[in-house]
Amino acid sequence: MELQKFTYDNRLTNLFIWATVGWGIVAMLVGLTIALELIFPNMSGEISWLVFSRIRPVHTNAAIFAFVGNGFFAAIYYSMPRLLKTPMYSKALGNIHFWGWQLIIVLAALTYPFGFTQSKEYAELIWPIDVLVVVIWVFFGLNLFATIVNRRVKHIYVAIWFYIATWVTIAVLYIVNNLALPVSLTLSYPIYAGIQDALVQWWYGHNAVAFFLTTPILGMMYYFIPKAANRPIYSYKLSIIHFWALIFLYIWAGPHHLLYSALPDWAQALGVVFSVMLIAPSWGGMINGLLTLRGAWDKVREDPVLKMFVVGVTAYGMSTFEGPMLSLKTVNALSHFTDWTIAHVHIGTLGWNSMMNFGMIYWLVPRLFKTKLYSVKLANTHFWIATLGMLFFSIPLYFAGFTQALMWKEFTAEGFLAYPNFLETVTQILPMYYLRAFGGALYVIGAILFIYNVWKTAAQGKFNRYENDEAAPKGPAKKGESFHRSIEGKPLKFTLLALVAILIGGLFEVVPMYLVKSNIPTIAAVKPYTPLELEGRDVYIAEGCYLCHSQMIRPFRNETERYGEYTKAGETVYDHPFQFGSKRTGPDLAREGVKTLPNYKPDSWHFNHMINPQKVSPESIMPPYPWLAENEIDISLTPNKINVMRTLGVPYPEGYEDQAIADLKAQYDQIANGLRSGGIEVEDNKEIIALIAYLQRLGTDVYNNK
Amino acid sequence: MATDNKDKTHDEEGYEIDTLTNERLIQDHTYDGIKELDNDLPPWWKWLFYLTIIFAIVYMVRLFVFQADDLVQESEYQLVMDKHAKDNPKSDESNTFKIELLTSSADLEAGKETWTKICAACHLVDGGGIVGPNMTDNYWIHGNTVDDLYTIVTNGVIEKGMIPYNTQLSEKARLQVVSYILTDIVGSTPATPKAPEGKEYK
Repeated sequence: MELQKFTYDNRLTNLFIWATVGWGIVAMLVGLTIALELIFPNMSGEISWLVFSRIRPVHTNAAIFAFVGNGFFAAIYYSMPRLLKTPMYSKALGNIHFWGWQLIIVLAALTYPFGFTQSKEYAELIWPIDVLVVVIWVFFGLNLFATIVNRRVKHIYVAIWFYIATWVTIAVLYIVNNLALPVSLTLSYPIYAGIQDALVQWWYGHNAVAFFLTTPILGMMYYFIPKAANRPIYSYKLSIIHFWALIFLYIWAGPHHLLYSALPDWAQALGVVFSVMLIAPSWGGMINGLLTLRGAWDKVREDPVLKMFVVGVTAYGMSTFEGPMLSLKTVNALSHFTDWTIAHVHIGTLGWNSMMNFGMIYWLVPRLFKTKLYSVKLANTHFWIATLGMLFFSIPLYFAGFTQALMWKEFTAEGFLAYPNFLETVTQILPMYYLRAFGGALYVIGAILFIYNVWKTAAQGKFNRYENDEAAPKGPAKKGESFHRSIEGKPLKFTLLALVAILIGGLFEVVPMYLVKSNIPTIAAVKPYTPLELEGRDVYIAEGCYLCHSQMIRPFRNETERYGEYTKAGETVYDHPFQFGSKRTGPDLAREGVKTLPNYKPDSWHFNHMINPQKVSPESIMPPYPWLAENEIDISLTPNKINVMRTLGVPYPEGYEDQAIADLKAQYDQIANGLRSGGIEVEDNKEIIALIAYLQRLGTDVYNNK
Repeated sequence: MATDNKDKTHDEEGYEIDTLTNERLIQDHTYDGIKELDNDLPPWWKWLFYLTIIFAIVYMVRLFVFQADDLVQESEYQLVMDKHAKDNPKSDESNTFKIELLTSSADLEAGKETWTKICAACHLVDGGGIVGPNMTDNYWIHGNTVDDLYTIVTNGVIEKGMIPYNTQLSEKARLQVVSYILTDIVGSTPATPKAPEGKEYK
C-alpha cells in the first residue's frame, strides 16, 4: 500500500515538558516549606497566606495537577501521534489545552492561599475554576479522540487504552464530586452532606490517585520503557488482564479512606475487599514494566533514564502493595490519621510519579533538541540523591506514624489514657519531622540538578520542532481477530466499555448511600447550625483547619475515652461539605464543644490559643491565626447561605434568612461579652467569634439531649 | 507474516522472535517500533489474584451472612468495652485512699509532670494563670484546702471551663497534682500574674 507522508509537531510536547519542570520545582519547594512550618510553627509569622493550612493544598495540587499532570500531557502529545501515525488532530485545541491548564494552575495558586477553597482534598478549587477545568478537559478530550479517529494504525496500543481510561474516568469523577450550589462567585456548598459527601469525595480522591497518578503514568510506562530499553513488551495478555481488572476494581476502593468512620459496614467492606483485589492487577503493570527490561539490565546499570524507570516502577509496586495492606481494618486502625499515610503517598509521588517524569524528560529532551544529555554523570547523581531523599522522607514518617498511633492507644494499668494530652504524642515525633524535612530538601537538591541538566541539554542543542514520518493508511479489520483485538480496532466501543467498567463500582456505592435511608439513621436531636456557627464553619473551611484536625471519632476505646462518643452518620446530615479530615496533626474536634468531655476548652482558651497557640501550649506546633481577630465576618452573604442550605435540604424555616443576621448578631454579642468580661479585648463582629461559636457547637447536639 | 528465513530473528516455524529471549513476537503488533511478546501470566501472579478474590468472597460472606463481630463496627466496639468493664470492675473508692497533702519528692515530681502536661494549658507552667485563674496568690474562688482542690480537679467547674479529670487522671495522680500546687505553685512568683480572683485566704 502507498505510504503517506505527514509531520509531527513537537511544540506542545516541549511546552508541556517545561511546564512540568517549572511546576515540579514549585510543588517541591512549597512541600519543603510546609514541612518546615510543621517544625517552626511561627515561620508564617502573621502572614495569613503563608500559613500551613492554606498552602498545603497548593503543594498537593501543584504536585498532582501541575507536575504529574503536565508530565503525562507531554507524554500523550509525544507518544499518541507516533503510536497512531498521525499528527495530533488540532494545534488550536492543543494550545487551548496547554494554556488553559496553566491558567487553572495559576488560579489555584492565587486562590488557595487566600482562603478560597471547597475543602475537599485535591478538589479544593472553587466552582468557577472547576467549570474551567471541565471545559479544558473537554477540549483535551476532543483533541485526543479526534487524533485516534484520524489514526493510520488500525489497533490502539496499550498506552492509549490507559490514556482513554484516564480521560473518561477523570471526567466522571471530577464532575460528580464537584456538584455544588453556588452562594457567590467564590463560594459554593456541595449537594451532598456529611457521610454522603465524604463517600463521594473519597470515591473521587482515591480515584484521582488511580486515574490521574496511575493510569496515565502506566500509559507513559508502556511507551517510554520499551522505547528507552529497545525491548518488546513482556506480555500482551498481561496488558489486557491487568488493564481491565485495574480500572474495574479501582473505582470501588474509595471507602478505604473511611474505615471505622460513620460509613455503613457494607460500604467499608467493599472498600476493603476491592483494595485487596487490586494488588495483582497493580502488580501486573509493575511486572510488565520490569520484565520488559529482561535482557536490558546491563543498560539499566548505565542509563539514568532506565534507572529512574526501574525505581519508579518498583516504588509503584511497593505502594500498591502497601495500599491494600493499609485498607485492612486492623492496619488502618493504626495508620489512619497519622503520618504513615503521608509516607505512603510520598512513595507514590516521589518514587513512582516523579521518577517516571524525570526518566521520561531525560529521554525526551535530548531527542527534541537533537543532542545528547548534557551530563549523564549529573543525571546519575540526581538519581541517587532523589532515591535517598525519598527514603529520608518516608522512613522517619513511617516511624512517626507508628509511634504516634501506639501512643494514642496506650492505656495505663489503672485504665487511663497513658497520654491524655495529645500534644505529648506530637512532641514525641517532632525529631522525625526534622528528618522528613531533610529528606525533602535532598529531593529538592536533586530536582535542581535535574533542571540544570535538562536546561543545559536544551541549550546545547537546537529545538527540532517538526519530524517527518510516513505510514500506510489503516486497513480494514482482519477476519478471525480475538474479541479484545477487535475492540482495539474500534476505539469508540473500547471507550464505552471502559466507561461501563468504571461506572459500576461508583453506582453500587454512591447510589445506595443516597437512596437507602437506613444508611444514615436519623438523630432527632441534630439541628442545623445557627447563622453565626455557619459563618464560623466557613472560616474553619477557608483557613484549612480540616488539614490538621479531624472531626470523626472512631469506635475505639481510646478514642471514645479521649474525645467522647464515636461519631454517628446522623450527626453529619447538615454538613455541606463534610469536615472529617484525613490527618490528625492536632486532636480531633468532633466534640470540641461538649463541656463534660476531656477536650473541652472555654471560649477564652480558644481565643488565646488561636491568636498565639504557644502562649497556652508552649510546645504546640500549631501556627498563629491573629488575623481572625481582625477580619470582620462578612454578613452580606449570610441570608443567601441560609437559602442555599435550605435548597440543599437543611431545614431552616421559610423566611429565616430575614431573621438570620439578627440572630447572628445576638450570638456574637453574647460570646464577645463573655470574652470581654474575662479581660480579652475583642470586637463583636470578628471571624474569631464565629469560629469559636462553631467550635463550641461541635458534637453537642447528641450530648445535650442525653 | 511467517517467512522461511532461518536467521536469528525467526524461529524454526518462521515466526519472528525476540533475539535475546528467543520468545515469539506477536505478528502485526508493532507500534512506533514497539513490539509485543505474549508471555503467559506468571503462575504466582495468577494465584495471588485468585487468593485475593477468595479473600474478598470470604470477607463478604462473613459480613453479610454471619455478621461477624469483627466486621460489624458496633459489635466490635461493644465487645471491647464489655471486656474492659469485666476486667476492671468499678472498685468502690478504695478504703486506703485518703485525701491528704502528699509530701514525698516522688509524689511532688509526679504532680509537677501532670501540671506541666495538662494544667499548664490554662494556668500556665508557672501558675500565673491565663484562661484559668492565677494559682500562685492566696485568692481562691472555690476554697484552698486539699479537699477543695481535689474536688475541683475531680469534678471540674464546667461553667467556667474547668473540665473534670476523673476520667483522665487516677485518684493518686489528682492528689499528686493538688499537692504540687499547694506546695510549689502557691506562693511562687509568676512572670505574668493574672489579677486575683475570689476571696483572700490568710
